[in-house]
Amino acid sequence: MKIILHDLNQQEFSGLYPNNDTDTVIISDNGTIHNCIGCFGCWIKTPGVCVLKDGYSNMGELLSKCNELVIISRCIYGSYSPFIRNVLDRCIPYILPYFVSINGETHHKNRYENTIVLSVYFYGEDITKREQETAKALVKANGINFYFSESKAYFHKDLQTIKEVVK
Amino acid sequence: MKIAMINGSPKLGQSNSGIMLKIFGTFINAEHEMTSYNINKKPLNEKHYIELCHTDVLIFAFPLYIDAIPSHLFRMMIKLEEYLKKEAKDNIYVYAIINNGFYEGHQNKIALQIMENWCDRAGINFGMAIGQGAGEMMEFVKNVPISHGPLKNLGKAMESLADNIHKKSSGESILFNPNFPKFAWKFTGTHAVWQANAKKNGLKRKDILKKIISH
Repeated sequence: MKIILHDLNQQEFSGLYPNNDTDTVIISDNGTIHNCIGCFGCWIKTPGVCVLKDGYSNMGELLSKCNELVIISRCIYGSYSPFIRNVLDRCIPYILPYFVSINGETHHKNRYENTIVLSVYFYGEDITKREQETAKALVKANGINFYFSESKAYFHKDLQTIKEVVK
Repeated sequence: MKIAMINGSPKLGQSNSGIMLKIFGTFINAEHEMTSYNINKKPLNEKHYIELCHTDVLIFAFPLYIDAIPSHLFRMMIKLEEYLKKEAKDNIYVYAIINNGFYEGHQNKIALQIMENWCDRAGINFGMAIGQGAGEMMEFVKNVPISHGPLKNLGKAMESLADNIHKKSSGESILFNPNFPKFAWKFTGTHAVWQANAKKNGLKRKDILKKIISH
């Protein structure tokens, strides 16, 4: 299954993806998402499921069925936009609370064995070189923490150029 | 000098960022006016944003979330950037106290860079950041005197941070591990935190490892 996580409005998204693929799950901002409150309920109360009931509590399970994750986000200060950040904060049920060492660094153990290829399409008219470097490091670090088999970041000035590469 | 201390933890109760800010407050000379802001329960209002624009020093304390800044704090920073561009007083300095749940303090590096990039966009000065690993340990060691035992590195880093704040100057950021053996931290985390808390909820280790499979 493919997941497309984006911060676009409906019209912008339809412009990029005019045809719906039945094996693709689209995650967009419907205005109801709550921020992670750091309760760790998804690890110690209802393992694998976020305790916040707002329609974004099943991110762990969704990722467990996914082999391709596409993120389309405005690049802000070298980070994802707030909605994308919010969804990623809510993805920790995908991993376990326990720790492992990877290349000498501590990370959480994986809960699932599926492999995911991550492609991040950042957009913004004036993304600085420094912001690009930060965003690349962020995508790479996310890839390690979520056990993605590949993590790539691309930068675009506008949505039109993203359309040319994702179609 | 007016100093704003912004607790960027989303936790509803006690937070490691709150504990760190409380400790850090003791390093600031008494003549300075310190104001605390919390954004865990409700967002700041216009009055708060304007106050922050007329402050000499902004200190952000927050936990690392997925290698970056928690989304609720990130939203606040974007809004504050708009206010700062319109009415910031001259020469505001920003400092950060970051903690992450892993052992290694250097994993806070990307969040630190995002803070620097934010300062560039907002047209204010980045002072420095301190970033500690094993943030969840703070609850267990909060009564240990600062600069002693497991808080030795934290104390040194806070001294340097306070020194730069008092001079309103920039310094080299310090990312550090706690003075606590990694194996002991890992053992405590596994048994005294995750499994002990899961047990309180009637769960066993096999429950924690559960895979969600629905169709």
